[in-house]
Amino acid sequence: MKPFELLEPRTLREAATLLHAAGDAARPVGGGVAIMLMLKMGVLQPETLVSLASVEDRYSTIALDDDGQLRIGALATLRAIERSGLVRDRIPVLAQALRRLSNVRVRNVATLGGHLAHADPHMDLPPVLIALGASVRVVGPAGERVMPLADLHAGYLETVLARGELIAEVTCPVQGSRRAAYLKCTTRAADDWPALGVAAVLEAEGEVVRSARLVVSAATDVPTRLSRAEALLRGVRIDDALLARVGEAAAAEVTPIGDEHGSAAYKRELLDVYVRRAVRAALAAR
Amino acid sequence: MTSTQGAVGQSIRRLEGRAKVTGRAQYVHTLRLPGMLHGKVFRSTVAHARLLGLDASAARALPGVHRVLVGQDILAVMPDPHYGPAFHDQPVLALDKVRYVGEPVALVLAEDPHVAEEAAALIVARYEPLPAVYDEVEAMDSTAVVHEVLKPAGTFPDLKHLQGKRDTNIALDYSLRRGDPDGAFASADHVFEHRFRTQQVLHVPLEPFVSAAVPGEGTLTLHTASQSPSFVRIEIARLLGWPENRVRVQVPYLGGGFGAKLYIKVEALAAAAALIVGRPVKIALTMEEQFFTLTKHAATLRIRSAVTREGRITARECEVWWNGGAYADIGPRITQKSGFTAPGPYDIEHVRIDSYALYTNLPPAGALRGFGIPQLVWAYESHTDMIARELGIDPVEMRRRNILREGRPQATGTVMRDAAIEQVLERTAERMRWSEAFDRGSGTRRRGRGIAIGFKASVSPTTSVAIVNIYADGSCALYCSTVDMGQGSDTAMAQIVSEVLGIDIDRITVVHPDTDVTPYDMATLGSRSTFHMGNAVRAAAEDARSKLIALAQDVGVSVETTPIGEIFRRKYGMQAGNVVGSGSFVPAYTPTDHHTGQSDNVTPFWMIGATGVEVEVDTETGQVTVNRLVNVGDAGRAINPAIVETQLSGAAIMQLGFTMTEQMRFRDGQCVNPSLADYRIPGILDIPAIIDNERVDATQSSGPFGAKGVGESGTFGVSPAIASAIEDAVGIRLTSLPITAESVLRALREQQGRPLQAD
Repeated sequence: MKPFELLEPRTLREAATLLHAAGDAARPVGGGVAIMLMLKMGVLQPETLVSLASVEDRYSTIALDDDGQLRIGALATLRAIERSGLVRDRIPVLAQALRRLSNVRVRNVATLGGHLAHADPHMDLPPVLIALGASVRVVGPAGERVMPLADLHAGYLETVLARGELIAEVTCPVQGSRRAAYLKCTTRAADDWPALGVAAVLEAEGEVVRSARLVVSAATDVPTRLSRAEALLRGVRIDDALLARVGEAAAAEVTPIGDEHGSAAYKRELLDVYVRRAVRAALAAR
Repeated sequence: MTSTQGAVGQSIRRLEGRAKVTGRAQYVHTLRLPGMLHGKVFRSTVAHARLLGLDASAARALPGVHRVLVGQDILAVMPDPHYGPAFHDQPVLALDKVRYVGEPVALVLAEDPHVAEEAAALIVARYEPLPAVYDEVEAMDSTAVVHEVLKPAGTFPDLKHLQGKRDTNIALDYSLRRGDPDGAFASADHVFEHRFRTQQVLHVPLEPFVSAAVPGEGTLTLHTASQSPSFVRIEIARLLGWPENRVRVQVPYLGGGFGAKLYIKVEALAAAAALIVGRPVKIALTMEEQFFTLTKHAATLRIRSAVTREGRITARECEVWWNGGAYADIGPRITQKSGFTAPGPYDIEHVRIDSYALYTNLPPAGALRGFGIPQLVWAYESHTDMIARELGIDPVEMRRRNILREGRPQATGTVMRDAAIEQVLERTAERMRWSEAFDRGSGTRRRGRGIAIGFKASVSPTTSVAIVNIYADGSCALYCSTVDMGQGSDTAMAQIVSEVLGIDIDRITVVHPDTDVTPYDMATLGSRSTFHMGNAVRAAAEDARSKLIALAQDVGVSVETTPIGEIFRRKYGMQAGNVVGSGSFVPAYTPTDHHTGQSDNVTPFWMIGATGVEVEVDTETGQVTVNRLVNVGDAGRAINPAIVETQLSGAAIMQLGFTMTEQMRFRDGQCVNPSLADYRIPGILDIPAIIDNERVDATQSSGPFGAKGVGESGTFGVSPAIASAIEDAVGIRLTSLPITAESVLRALREQQGRPLQAD
């Protein structure tokens, strides 16, 4: 690992300004989980690291905003989100997904902002938050903008964030009457990165689905909505025959990428199975 | 001295437990020495090539770099810088050739390890690529030859015949012939033949390899994380052309070893560098670099059996190809020692074994918990179940009909003594409630169970020496070179001393290996310490006891009624003096005949281990969950029952990783997953919900207080038991490790006639 300068600005805006000025030579560091691995491997060799540890406290808080949505600061640790009473109460699927995210040592230090900005498709929360309809507020040297989380990821380890832009917070509609589940499949060890993740968020009455959002992650470069599978679910009663069609549609509408977690052909099978199971699990949830 | 405390047989808490959990235990990794330089290794990026030249100018120019050493520089202190326990084939730094991706080629020395690392990345090597060979079976007659010249080390008397075959990749071919296998096959009711494969895996001690060398006035001190301090001293002295007494090797606690930290790893490089620059040099490898240092043999195994209608095995033929990687390390000994148990713990009249240690252009392979046995058991126990299934015989019953019983000869001709094979099998079946009904699951979740048993010979010829020193206040120290790498040997050895001398365990210290202080021991390997060192320690303690008795008689008191301190005071008039006892142990042994592999006494003792598992298979994804893991072993009479049980379960869990998830993956000879992120060992969530461990009621009559080694026995049966349980659940048989979810689903789909695409 090459030596680097560590800056510790007091405000998020200042951090954005420093990063903008330094360009490619600088990198932000939140919890430091992914970046430490990349520094040690020599994938990144920044001259400057801009630590976000000392920016305003409000960027690590979790609160309900005025219109009843949950606002989570980008510097909140994954563990803080997992343990938050508000999160457990208002978005239980998020707390459930967190319980099996990596391991507790990672969750203790990793931050939500870093988790999203890293843009590794194997992260667990993007599919869940996208399926719930979350948005991100981004702070840059020139100001702020808000975008749907679904628009954040541009490719493998790539986001649409411009130089100097930092995720400030995530706003997520509460689960309310929606039923939701996140299922993931790990193929090497239980706390491995997933071969596949599927988030399902349903509005349903009994066994009849009004609307569905399905998002797949890990098997594709970016978290991907399964629109055709969603369409099959709209306004119908769930049974095994329907789910078989939904699983097939999902497996047909994306092209999984083979890697050390499994071949593309295997992941297509997993997608079929896990979409069916995620819909069942969501229906069974409250 | 009072009567014995009964320390042996008690589950006494580990002596080092508190120091370790409070972070106070010292390791070489935490060692800092005045004036110390850090060494970082520049490694080969090609699998097989002539080394044409190195450009280290940019590295040398980097501020903070003290020195860059290349292969030729080593010659200044080590005229022939090749080391290894079986062949002197491994150069300290590459000289004319590189033979695997990751081989050390140059060493950068700097006061700041980050500077050394940055400089190492600036070195450029020029290579002329050579044809490479990676597969062990192809290596048998490959035109790519890894070593042009073979240099047997002559270290072990039992490998005296070791020559290697010139212009081939065969480092050792071991054969065993017993009876008339051809005749038996010709007249057999049934003949079965199967082929199996195991993958290359890694030890993954949480403390990677680390050594620090300190030059003195014509002397050298090595602080090293080694399982074999005595070997390191002898081999470093040989490389330097020095007498043994000028090399001192000190070993504190190890953060795991599992067979990786044997013989020479980074010790020779640290020693040469320190002597060349005249300053202490520490080389601490990263977790990632462990993947380029020592691995476990991948193997291909062919096994063929002649079987009667009733399920009696009359003949067995085994061919084993061991992928030794670029340097032999201890591979030839695995090929032989483990090779002769290839037919399994069965009573088979006619046997033919051919076992080959092969060089390839992969990272070297050596000892790893089980020393080749798990590879063999994977083959012979899978084979046994496949035969049983074919003949419609219950797997446990099939084993009962063939099991090697006490007093019967094993394939080498050695008659089995103190080997509770039958008992271990029966207890495993009982713990599994084998004869009772079993819930086989339904729908997409199917359940099955399997059982497997294996055995292993202990190492010989071999020597252990121990010294017991009783102090004038009645406290005592044990000097022995057994390395406590987490297996609890300090505690067990102290229990033996306590038992013999009647000194309370908390008044006994165990002095850690320091070759200037502690006497010779072959090494901490092959589950040998409890038996071999245990016998030496017992002899040393008994020697001290006789001397103490003589001392008491001398001053007219009885050791039974007079406290030890009082005996010393009477003798010396004050708290002064020592009683020093010593003991050594060399077991009887007959080397195997080179042509027939026969011996009437092939091992000092046998290790027996069996595993039973219950699994659940998800038929839609191929995922396998091990719900229950039963480990039963013959440890003789346990010195410390709690430690024996954790050794059984620890070994089984390690083998569970080698069975289900762990695999070094290679592209053009390069390991592409050399990190704990990409090479996954089991985590706590992967551990079976139920683990039962049992020691059968047995005694090793030649062992200290009836004990014998047990560090590896839990590994033996795990892989084939899981494969058999999967077949029991869903009717598919896997013959290649690891058993991934994808491999299970692919086999299921084949069986259903709708195979998955190849990609």
